[in-house]
Amino acid sequence: MKILIIEDEPGLAESIGAYLTAQDYLCEYAATWAQAREKVELYRYDCILLDLMLPGGDGMDILETLKQQGQQGQQDGVIIISAKGDYETKIRGLHAGADDYLAKPFHLPELAARIYSVIRRRSFANHNQVVQSELKVDLLSKMVTVNGQVVVLTKKELDLLLFFIGNKNRVISKSALAEHLSGDIADMFDNHDFVYAHVKNLKKKLSEAGYGNYLKTIYGTGYKWEG
Amino acid sequence: MGRMKKLLDQSLRPLVIYAFTVLVISIPVYFLIIDVIWENELDKHHYAIREKLEKRLTHLSLPDTAVDNMIAVLDKIQPGFSFNETTTPRPDSLYTVIRFDSFMNDREQFRCLTTDIRVNHKLYRVLVETNMEEVDETILAIGGVTVFFIMLLLAGFIYLNRKTALRIWQPFYDTLAGLRTFRLESGKAVPLPVSDVTEFTDLNASLDTLMQGSLASYRQQKEFTENASHELQTPLAIVKSRLDMLLQSQSLDAGQMRIVEQVYQAINRVSRINKNLLLLARIEHAQFEEKEQIALDETLAGVAEQFADRFENNALHYTESIEPFRVEANPVLTEILVTNLLVNAVRYTPTGGEVLVHLAGGVLTVSNTGAEALLAKNLFRRFAQASDEHAGSGLGLAIAREICDRYGWQIGYDFAQGMHRFSVRF
Repeated sequence: MKILIIEDEPGLAESIGAYLTAQDYLCEYAATWAQAREKVELYRYDCILLDLMLPGGDGMDILETLKQQGQQGQQDGVIIISAKGDYETKIRGLHAGADDYLAKPFHLPELAARIYSVIRRRSFANHNQVVQSELKVDLLSKMVTVNGQVVVLTKKELDLLLFFIGNKNRVISKSALAEHLSGDIADMFDNHDFVYAHVKNLKKKLSEAGYGNYLKTIYGTGYKWEG
Repeated sequence: MGRMKKLLDQSLRPLVIYAFTVLVISIPVYFLIIDVIWENELDKHHYAIREKLEKRLTHLSLPDTAVDNMIAVLDKIQPGFSFNETTTPRPDSLYTVIRFDSFMNDREQFRCLTTDIRVNHKLYRVLVETNMEEVDETILAIGGVTVFFIMLLLAGFIYLNRKTALRIWQPFYDTLAGLRTFRLESGKAVPLPVSDVTEFTDLNASLDTLMQGSLASYRQQKEFTENASHELQTPLAIVKSRLDMLLQSQSLDAGQMRIVEQVYQAINRVSRINKNLLLLARIEHAQFEEKEQIALDETLAGVAEQFADRFENNALHYTESIEPFRVEANPVLTEILVTNLLVNAVRYTPTGGEVLVHLAGGVLTVSNTGAEALLAKNLFRRFAQASDEHAGSGLGLAIAREICDRYGWQIGYDFAQGMHRFSVRF
């Protein structure tokens, strides 16, 4: 899977790249508008991470270029990563053809989960299933089965499960999970204990169905899905 | 400040007083002048009569007896004359007398001349008198005319003042009306009327400079807050992503994991403050202009659902009684307002406490269990902590107030029976 990281801040681009490379993605970088434009025109990517404020131009123009390409064939997936968190810019970006919009600052696991979701949505539109040995998740019907046996999960538990699978073998902080689970209001609170309850329930349901015990707790403050 | 006076009335008042004074003083002056002219003219006339009488009687060259007879006849029939024979000449006397006149059957004023004439070496004392207008009647007439003219002047002044002064000051009023519509938030200076009067042109030019200056500094301030917040987002994003990377390190022990978690918390708090500062700047600078009809009950339900985890986690009893209610506002701002009130309630309610949301009759109240009343004075101010706790961004309620102010909603706080109660009257 090829990812293009269009981000002018080297520190951030590097972190993103390192995190995604460990997820077996192939990462390329563009730090200016001109570089981004060139890469987008020459190569195809499974997902493009697009910063809107770039030296030399507006990221929205890149989105426009991609849209024109898209009319001729398969379009690359795009996730906007921007410091502009306002609703207008978000709506504008999504209207211009972006698949998702993530406001800075964000957690890398959140980004990874979104990339995973975008790529899934694009490549397996008809038969969208996540499989890990005995565990199957049907993304269309939202059905989870372990060894063919249906496990009934709440919306949040399913959400968590997909988040973990999208961040295989990575340690995920409670803070990242909380932000993922409660969206806009997550950063209003310092206490993220409610994450425990959801993780605990998810673990219990999957264990009862006999899954491979992939979900590990790291020192009580982080989680890891092995696979 | 006292009663406000209008500029035009100010300029009219001294004019009116001055005109009134002048006209009142003119009454006795007119009278004196008329009186002097009258008397002068009558005296000249009397002397002329005396000369003619003496000359004509002498010219007739009548015998003494005939002269006596004629004088007796004149004395009897000629009005305004009386003759007396006299031996010693006396100086002439001029005087005014008021007496009853049997012919006019009224008190009348007379101008008199007593003089001597000599006819045929015989001396006669002659009194010539002419009826003239009385003092009071003259004054009355002059007064009447004067009052009439005062009225005429006043009416003229008021009319002309209204007409011309209004026209002269019109550019000023236009400027004033223009200035009233000026709003910093609009980002535009209002166009002031063009005038061919130097003073107004100067005034408008100065005001325009002033407006442009205010707008520029306002823009700078706005850009500063926005830019500062945006600039902060990137380093925050780097710190956050570096932490996420640090967590992947195999060599972290439990203690180090806990430290990372604590740094996450601090970073979250910084990004929360930053986000809210940016939001506040954007609300203040009149973004979020678009409005629509919002079902407040639905907004509330949606927001409350997001808090379900929090209620459960903190073992809070959440009760709501919500009636359908619609407001016209920006949906994003309305959601932020409701969210901030709920965040506030959840954050400061002790474990096991109660949170009540009530919406009826256009009033939304969010109540929660609390120990003691908060400092209402500081409650809605930025970064002003109203209690000893420092968990929030210090901006949530300031944002709520800013949103309420924009739509003219009233936000209030009170404390009763162990409950903090925030209310918004739509």
